[in-house]
Amino acid sequence: MGLLDYYRQFAGMTDEEVTEQLREQADEHRRRALARIEELDLSRTTWHELPHPDVVNAVTFAARGALNVAPDPTAEELRRELGRRNGVEPDRVAVGHGAAQLLSAAAQALLEPDDELLTPWPSYGLYPVMAQRAGAQATPVPGGHDPERLLAAVTPATRAIALCNPNDPTGEHLDAPALRALLEALPEHVSLLLDEALADFVTAEASGASLQLLDDHPRLLIFRTFSKAYGLAGLRAGYVLGGPGSEPLLARIAPALGVGLPVQIGALEALRRCDTQLIQRRAAVAAERERLLDALQELPLDAHPSEANLLWLRSTGLSGSELTVRLQRSGVRVMSGTTVGDEHHVRVTVQSAAATDRLLDALRTALGV
Amino acid sequence: MRTDPSETGGLFVTRRPGTRPVQYRTAPRRGDARRRRLDGFVGAGLLAVMVLVNLCFWGPLPLACLWIGGHLQYWTDSVGLGLLAAFVTLGGGLLLGLMALKRLDYAWILVRRAAGHDQREGVIGKIFMICCMIGVPIFGIWFTFFSGATLGGFDVQSMLGGG
Repeated sequence: MGLLDYYRQFAGMTDEEVTEQLREQADEHRRRALARIEELDLSRTTWHELPHPDVVNAVTFAARGALNVAPDPTAEELRRELGRRNGVEPDRVAVGHGAAQLLSAAAQALLEPDDELLTPWPSYGLYPVMAQRAGAQATPVPGGHDPERLLAAVTPATRAIALCNPNDPTGEHLDAPALRALLEALPEHVSLLLDEALADFVTAEASGASLQLLDDHPRLLIFRTFSKAYGLAGLRAGYVLGGPGSEPLLARIAPALGVGLPVQIGALEALRRCDTQLIQRRAAVAAERERLLDALQELPLDAHPSEANLLWLRSTGLSGSELTVRLQRSGVRVMSGTTVGDEHHVRVTVQSAAATDRLLDALRTALGV
Repeated sequence: MRTDPSETGGLFVTRRPGTRPVQYRTAPRRGDARRRRLDGFVGAGLLAVMVLVNLCFWGPLPLACLWIGGHLQYWTDSVGLGLLAAFVTLGGGLLLGLMALKRLDYAWILVRRAAGHDQREGVIGKIFMICCMIGVPIFGIWFTFFSGATLGGFDVQSMLGGG
């Protein structure tokens, strides 16, 4: 390097050059941002949009309030509102940290070691785990939501049946008459844990049809959550409804010190504000579910009819894992059936119209059609 | 009381005007410690040259202009032409001098950076001001008491009672 070149390298850029460089960097950043395609996550059944702003405000208000004071452990106001809306006495409502916690607590309360928990399979992966944690045995009943098969699988050791309705991941749904028939046929020593986490997406029957069974069947527990259609998975709020005489059991199932104040306030606000939103979401999911099912008929895929915000797909030429990987390459994430021991299926969540379009494009690419 | 318009009290998280660090096109490769020390000396030398050039504005340059103007007046026997030549020479000399100072100042900045200093601005303004503060009184004293100049036919020294 020559003498002058040595000193010239210390010449700083002018303001105009710096401005030009920053402008180029901003343009490049914008180009990359526009070129980047965000991954579409269709592997979760939780709602993909942010919660209702009023609920967020209520939770924020509660969080900024007297958090040094222990909340009402019985969540009296929330239970009253839940009871009023579901036509159940507040004493027969228990609030917990999501339906999963309440289901686990119910398994702990109902199952003794060597007892048996039946569940149609494939279904929600929590059920075998909660049976094991209670020291009991989980018995999967293959063949989907078939009351006959379930009844045939009942043994003297069976203490409970965990029924996800509509089912995650298959979307199968038993309507109220079928549930009534099942309950009436069950032996006295078997309780039915009806997990209605995805019930807000059902369009085949009126919302809350299963609630009418509570009065006639004291061994029925209905579990619901704010994590799915309400889009409040981060709040961990759920509740369980029981029949007459279920109060002592519900007291055992509920968390000993209740749920946090922001959770109670958030859930209460969601009940009061989100009715319209819930109706819109149910309608949107139903419309997209129908559209997706129609479009899938042109593809080499088998799809179960579904009453949930998900579809259980099987490719005729690909394993579930391979289809999952191929969809992932197109930027669409789905849940492989191997998660619940099924090699052939994938579970896709039904979201918006744009998500449906992207999923269909990705499926066509993955299947080479 | 807030008097600095660029002080936002932390409202805007950004750099205050005029405090942007020097941005290079490519990161410069600095010399070793010896080279940097040498550059420090070169920078000091350039500074001295700038001071000299500045001081020239208050002594040698006016004298040279007067000398040229005087000679032209002698050759042409025209006071006006002599004055014109003196002023034109003075203006041109100042202009050339400032151009040279500007270049020297830029070279000084680069050499200072090469010597390892975070040199963001030149020093030409400060030198010019200091030289003015030194040169103006000296020139004034010389002009008043020693130059023998007359104003409108009156001897300046006699007017001030200097005999």
